[in-house]
Amino acid sequence: FAGLADVSISEDIPVEGEITVPVGSHSPDEDYSTLDEPVRDTIMRDLKAVGKKFVHVMYPKKSSALLRDWDLWGPLVLCVSLALMLQGGSADSKDDGGPQFAEVFVIIWFGAVVITLNSKLLGGTISFFQSLCVLGYCVLPLTVAMLVCRLVLLAGSGTVSFIIRLIVVIAMFAWSTLASTAFLADSQPPNRKALVVYPIFLFYFVISWMILTFTPQ
Amino acid sequence: GSPPQALVDDTEDVSLDFGSEEELALRKAKIRHPLATFFHLFFRVSAIITYLFCDWFSNSFVACFVTILLLLSFDFWSVKNVTGRLLVGLRWWNQIDEDGKSHWVFEARRVPTKAASTEAEARIFWLGLIICPVIWTVFFFSTLFSLKLKWLALVIAGISLQTANLYGYIHCKLGGQKSISRATSSFFVTADAPK
Repeated sequence: FAGLADVSISEDIPVEGEITVPVGSHSPDEDYSTLDEPVRDTIMRDLKAVGKKFVHVMYPKKSSALLRDWDLWGPLVLCVSLALMLQGGSADSKDDGGPQFAEVFVIIWFGAVVITLNSKLLGGTISFFQSLCVLGYCVLPLTVAMLVCRLVLLAGSGTVSFIIRLIVVIAMFAWSTLASTAFLADSQPPNRKALVVYPIFLFYFVISWMILTFTPQ
Repeated sequence: GSPPQALVDDTEDVSLDFGSEEELALRKAKIRHPLATFFHLFFRVSAIITYLFCDWFSNSFVACFVTILLLLSFDFWSVKNVTGRLLVGLRWWNQIDEDGKSHWVFEARRVPTKAASTEAEARIFWLGLIICPVIWTVFFFSTLFSLKLKWLALVIAGISLQTANLYGYIHCKLGGQKSISRATSSFFVTADAPK
């Protein structure tokens, strides 16, 4: 170290460096505190994360923080609600609507998986579960449309009611598609965006179709 | 006055306490986390029982489907986030960095805390974790061969959720050494703040 003896750092040079722990990793202390946190904290943390995502869907602005913290509770709740509301239609067979209910489930989850695989094959950078999370959460506007349709159908099922339902469903369908593309299309190279958007379009189109063609017994 | 001086004087009079009554009882108990143990088994066993006896509970396919699905989801969440860390000190999760890459993290607790888990709890945990996916796989084949296909979606969901937890915890158990050393080294690197 003899060569360094005459090296001196003047007082004026600011010494800089990263003191913060990078966001991606946890220090052992932080980990063990979440390993030992009380259960209520865990539940509240997850509930708040789910609520935040619902709000984000209603006001879609690009936020990578939202994407990073994925969960599938929202899609589960939305899927179950949508499937329940699509029950009791005249298209049901004479038993208790079993196949219809499972169909909605399969369409939503299988459809979301296929879209995710499609975007990954096209070279997208988003991860599998993140994509499922976004697609699932963006079903929220359509679930709202279903609720509105059922209420409108309570009032009557004539032409006026059909027109109202058509407008509502089209508006919500556009909202869903735009919200999910706002999150998903950015993970794709620019010349592939249309190839990624059109399956999303089809997916929400099929769901919107199921909603619009629902007629009560 | 000099507060540090006073503190030193105080500690000289403190008698060494090897643990209160409560702590001794805790150390002797066979099951230190009764609630966690109960819930670990409750959701999974209820889901299986509801599936087997759904005809007794309700005529409606939809009600049974939703109930079992909710039980399976609660089970997945509680085993992944609560009972794993309380009963065996293991935890796994998915993390996504700033550049969008996702990776799975598997943690194993090294330092035993005051309320560390016991043999009995660990045994209950692993038995519950292993036996239930096996039972759901049996259901899968019975549903397939009896052609009650409307239940198939549910059984597949059950198998996926339970096998995911099983796989995650086995990974934690086997890979504990590696991830702890990686976490420790990253801690030392970032703690190196320039003075």
